[in-house]
Amino acid sequence: MCKIGIYLVCDYPDRDRFLKAVKLCERFGVDFLEIGIPFSDPTADGDVIEMASLQVLTREDMNDFHEALETVREIYSKRLYVMTYANVVYANGIEDFAKKFSFVDGVILADVPFKESKRFKGVFGRYDIGFVNFVTPETDLNALKKIKTFANDFIYFVSIRGTTGGEFNLDSGAINRLERLKEGKQDVIVGFGIRTKNDIEKACKYADGVVIGTEAIKSLTLSRLEDFLRNVIS
Amino acid sequence: MKGYYGVYGGQFVAETLIHALDELEEAFAKFKRDKSAKGELDDLLKNYAGRPTPLYYAKNLSRYLGCDVYLKREDLLHSGAHKLNNTLGQAILTKFMEKRRIIAETGAGQHGVATATAAALLGIECIVYMGKIDAERQRPNLLRMKLLGADVRIVEKGSMTLKSAINEALRDWVKNVQATHYILGSVVGPHPFPEIVAYFQSIIGREAKRQILKQAGKLPDCVIACVGGGSNAIGIFKGFLKDNVELIGVEAGGESLELGKHSATLAMGRPGILHGSLSYLLQDDCGQVAKVHSISAGLDYPGIGPEHSYLKDTGRVKYGVCFDSEALDGFKILSKLEGIIPALESAHAVGYVLKKRDYFKGKMIVINVSGRGDKDLGIIESMEENGV
Repeated sequence: MCKIGIYLVCDYPDRDRFLKAVKLCERFGVDFLEIGIPFSDPTADGDVIEMASLQVLTREDMNDFHEALETVREIYSKRLYVMTYANVVYANGIEDFAKKFSFVDGVILADVPFKESKRFKGVFGRYDIGFVNFVTPETDLNALKKIKTFANDFIYFVSIRGTTGGEFNLDSGAINRLERLKEGKQDVIVGFGIRTKNDIEKACKYADGVVIGTEAIKSLTLSRLEDFLRNVIS
Repeated sequence: MKGYYGVYGGQFVAETLIHALDELEEAFAKFKRDKSAKGELDDLLKNYAGRPTPLYYAKNLSRYLGCDVYLKREDLLHSGAHKLNNTLGQAILTKFMEKRRIIAETGAGQHGVATATAAALLGIECIVYMGKIDAERQRPNLLRMKLLGADVRIVEKGSMTLKSAINEALRDWVKNVQATHYILGSVVGPHPFPEIVAYFQSIIGREAKRQILKQAGKLPDCVIACVGGGSNAIGIFKGFLKDNVELIGVEAGGESLELGKHSATLAMGRPGILHGSLSYLLQDDCGQVAKVHSISAGLDYPGIGPEHSYLKDTGRVKYGVCFDSEALDGFKILSKLEGIIPALESAHAVGYVLKKRDYFKGKMIVINVSGRGDKDLGIIESMEENGV
């Protein structure tokens, strides 16, 4: 079975439409949700997610995002992740963030590689929040072994070089590493560049699931998220 | 811990870049041991760039201030600022890694020009990211980069200043990392960049120490440098860190110390994570990076190199603030008294000394004039038109 996760920017385009999008994901049986807490300098994101994030930031702050995520937790029954950047978590103390968001299942930090993840993982662990590590087509094979051993939530496989929203492709380096991750205890989820049903099928030959961000945001902007979900999930 | 200065530094980047950073660290270690690469750099620094730069006793300014002022003349380095020390080094490192494409960010345009210069010399493709506001206020440097053959990409997102230029350069690097080297221009970014840039800039301090001992027969009481990301300051401080010499870094106070109106990261910020490292950062209560301001495009940055954060906490370096108007005073005084037009960045170091002249009275000091001010004439002209 191929799991499908959807990434949404918190409160984009606005609170009402964002929560409706979450409800749609619940209705379509989306396997997990990643909610992006906007950061002022999202260097791992392409234009679509950056623009969405900056738009929300002009009117909202952390208290709004916390409130919105609590509501998401009430209406969405499956695994819920927060995706953001290190400084959003670090600014007022990792502990403080973990306490505040202890109701989520896991956290993904775009600018925290495995090497720097210990201080975050340790704190989140105490609050029963998973921490997602990344693997890329160029991850050193020794590091890959360690990541596999220490993963306490899914492994996020970054399928392409570049920021979110690039073209999807799996090269030999990617396939080699996906095969090494296969028999691990944690799910391997492919992200970055997934757009179509075809991409999903390709990714799921080697992985447990995919996450779709940029395409979901684009269709939400055009009020076509329902069609998009029907298309990729059915 | 490796890659850290005390608690500051690290590699807070997308996992996609880790391989490139590992590769860079390895190449840099090899480069340092490689006699022919080092020989190539030494030759270019001497015969192409014009090192050593003079250490000049500023007689008129000394008389005016009542202290002995020596100026380290990085403004005389080819392309007009200390930046070339680093870009020549990293361009040779790029060839060493067999990469064919260089990217860089620039604020004031000095690092962009220095990168374009090194790339032209060594025949490497060069792309420079520059914020739209900076491209407008530092237009002479924009034109120079284009003449040197660089592809200058104007960034019209975010703050449209140095911070946005770094964001875009990082995005480019993630996408093209296999054939591209990112020449960061300051002692910021993920490890090993702060170490590499400091290594190439430390020549300033080594020379200055040798020169002052020769000219004055003793070490100075103080060494003063402006600090944005902090590369010229680290460069000159490295020569004196172990000596009994007071080291002062001068940050841009902008219009006032209200958040959003200055770039005084160490004075007003708190530790945070931006552009790959943990260091002091100007940010709001929720961890969003704050808007910043400085009259000088090269200092207009919310972060600072991790080594500076460490040097602040340990107390080894003292950090002060110079406001826009005080930097303009420094700019004008140095021009009038010594016939040296400094970059607005460097004018912050001069302005700070003017402001604190009582403190410096009777002392022997070295000011790092990190760059020359031709690029800033447009800013000065428009300020005068507006009656500032």
